[in-house]
Amino acid sequence: MIHKLDPNSKIIYIFVANIAPALIGARMATASFILISIVILTIGKVLHKTAPMLEFSGLILLTVAIIQGIFHQGNTTVAFALGSVVFYKEGLMFALGIALNVINILMSFSILVLTTKPSDMVETFVHMGLSPRLGYVMSSVFQIIPQMTKTMATITDAQRSRGMETEGKLKTRIKAFFPLISPVVMNSLISTKERAIALEVRGFGSKQKKTFLNDLQKTRYDDIFRFVLILILILSIFWRVLIWLK
Amino acid sequence: MAKIVAEHLKYKYPLSEKLALYDISFTIEPGEFIGIIGENNAGKSTLCQAMVGIVPNFYKGAYGGKVLIGDMEIAKSNISDICKKVGIVFQNPFNQVTGCKLTVYEEVAFGLENMGLPRSEMIDRIDYSLKLLDIYKYKDRNPFDLSGGQMQRMAIASIIAMRPEVIILDEPTSQLDPQGSEEVFRAVQNLSREGITIIMVEHKMEKIAEYSDRVMLLHEGKLIAFETPEKIFSRDDLDCYGVTAPAYTRICKSLGIKNKKTGFYPVTLEETKSLIGFSEKERCPYDQN
Amino acid sequence: MTRIEVQEMHFSYTEQEPILKGINITLDERSTAIIGQNGAGKTTFVKLLKGLLRPMQGKILFDGKDIACMTVAQIAKHIGLVFQNPNDQIFKNNILDEVMFGPINIGMDEQEAKRHSQNALAMVGLSDCEDKNPYDMGLSERKLIAIASVLAMDTDVVIFDEPTIAQDYRGIEKIKKIIRTLKAEGKMVLTITHDMDFVADCFERTIVFAKGKILLDGQTDKVFSKKEELSQAYLEPPHVTQLCNSLGYDKVFLRVEDFVSYVKSKGIENK
Repeated sequence: MIHKLDPNSKIIYIFVANIAPALIGARMATASFILISIVILTIGKVLHKTAPMLEFSGLILLTVAIIQGIFHQGNTTVAFALGSVVFYKEGLMFALGIALNVINILMSFSILVLTTKPSDMVETFVHMGLSPRLGYVMSSVFQIIPQMTKTMATITDAQRSRGMETEGKLKTRIKAFFPLISPVVMNSLISTKERAIALEVRGFGSKQKKTFLNDLQKTRYDDIFRFVLILILILSIFWRVLIWLK
Repeated sequence: MAKIVAEHLKYKYPLSEKLALYDISFTIEPGEFIGIIGENNAGKSTLCQAMVGIVPNFYKGAYGGKVLIGDMEIAKSNISDICKKVGIVFQNPFNQVTGCKLTVYEEVAFGLENMGLPRSEMIDRIDYSLKLLDIYKYKDRNPFDLSGGQMQRMAIASIIAMRPEVIILDEPTSQLDPQGSEEVFRAVQNLSREGITIIMVEHKMEKIAEYSDRVMLLHEGKLIAFETPEKIFSRDDLDCYGVTAPAYTRICKSLGIKNKKTGFYPVTLEETKSLIGFSEKERCPYDQN
Repeated sequence: MTRIEVQEMHFSYTEQEPILKGINITLDERSTAIIGQNGAGKTTFVKLLKGLLRPMQGKILFDGKDIACMTVAQIAKHIGLVFQNPNDQIFKNNILDEVMFGPINIGMDEQEAKRHSQNALAMVGLSDCEDKNPYDMGLSERKLIAIASVLAMDTDVVIFDEPTIAQDYRGIEKIKKIIRTLKAEGKMVLTITHDMDFVADCFERTIVFAKGKILLDGQTDKVFSKKEELSQAYLEPPHVTQLCNSLGYDKVFLRVEDFVSYVKSKGIENK
């Protein structure tokens, strides 16, 4: 169901999920959006795919927490001490704020990235005014790289057939670098030129406004989803204004 | 339907000293099937590219004379406009896949999206061309998962969907296996029946002889002759141009068997069969029993 | 005489999809063509002979010695393989250096390597271009450079993968001459190809691969007389043979000259 949502709705979600907490100005708001993202990712059955990314950013955030916990400028209240190293509450809370914001950004983007086909995503960007050429580069990368890996394997075979050693000592590997890499470069130059011509004769350079085979269809769910999001946004703006008026 | 006219076409690639095309003039009528033959570097591919504007618009270089498709002058038009009238298919099926589409169906749509066609028309055209090339059953496959022959037919379908009046095939089967080649040749014959003008470069002379209405013989950038296959392959000087006649013609030349009606040597299996069969019967009438 | 024996060889990349299913064959001094559709296992077969892939079951004996105990670099001294696309191997700025790369790798000294390379270049007709950049040449010449770079290694066995692609009439004639010369030098020549007229002209023995098995194997004219098996492998016989078939001859000819002399002799007899 999440996969079927229009990518535009997901982009709106990213926008609201990051702007609304900033307007409300409470850590609870950020935390709630993280929770909503987790729920959405669970429904879309892709929550587990966020794990590697979270592990990586978790490591960085832990470092931030340690540094801020010890060295933050406004540190006064002692939270706890590990041996002679003292951690302060202000610094830890500051780090928590950063962590929540980072995780919120990551999770909301994950919804778009993990539940949308790359080609649909690029198409949406092109719809929104991204240059079709840049869009082409983005979406072709997904397909061309596996093809290049195949070429690389053939080249390795061809050079090993001519008696070249590719395994073993570092010196052998360094010696093998040039005979392997230069055919890859030449090959991709040649195929890029041929592909550029093939795109050209299919009207890629046309100044005509492009149309799209895939109709990005907005469903009823999109409407409900967007309505709720806009409502949240309006409420949080209202909240902000109230605080000002006080 | 548009005529193709070349008038004193000359062309030199940048960084090259020799002319790649030297004073070439010809007229191709709508619906004709034209074969182009000649040795490597004779100018075959350059000539093909000059008919779609890749020469000179993509490569630049020195250009003289002109090529007209109907009333459109190639050197003065954009490739994106020319490609609505003239389509081209290259040797390597692999390098013609856009790489930005996930299914065969979307791949064929690429050109139509660039043309800005409405969605419903796109679908009509894609369905039609996939069926014409007999690859409709693969429409949901990833383009890179097709065999060489299927990939090449997809490349042709992608061009056909753009509804050109002329389609140029530059050695479309040289990288395919026998089965894949046969699939492509059959598809090309189908296109010809639909009335599309076809221009095909090919080293397999038997195929050129079988399909072509007329054959261009190129050598060192010059147009040596533009005649019927019978007349071209009956020439005695083919060796000087680095080409050879179909096996059937070579047999008949050695045996001195000409087609009495045309005065030329036969070029296809069928024609040779009827002539050899006939002369054998004449020579040894009892052999049949 | 060089011999390669392949015994009960099986190979697959993934468990579900066997590529070669029990190949038994002995390759000898006869020049041999390997034909069949893409995906029939031809290229996999020659990669196994080169040790680039290793069999799952069965073994390959080179002059009686199991190649399983040899490294790819060791095998390279005995078996040369010319890949289909020359762009997959060319990396030097001048042709002579490119051709000398293989010979030096397999342990020839500079002088010996140069001598062999110059001989190889002479054989493919590129002696005058030793100092040129390979990428200033056309694709068909680059293919000849790739051929020379394997010939220069002076191996007992030379394998070609689709040598006639991108070659015109003269190029194909040149390759036929190279193959005949190698044969005369007593080398074993194997060629994967889709060009049946080339097979008919140049090879004594033909092996037909289909679906990972050897469908036919024998003297070339015998193989091309098996109409049914060939069509089963989606292969068409050479053009001259097609003419023989459609004229209803029982005798199968492969070459224009053979057909012509047969018809002539028949004509003379009947006069």
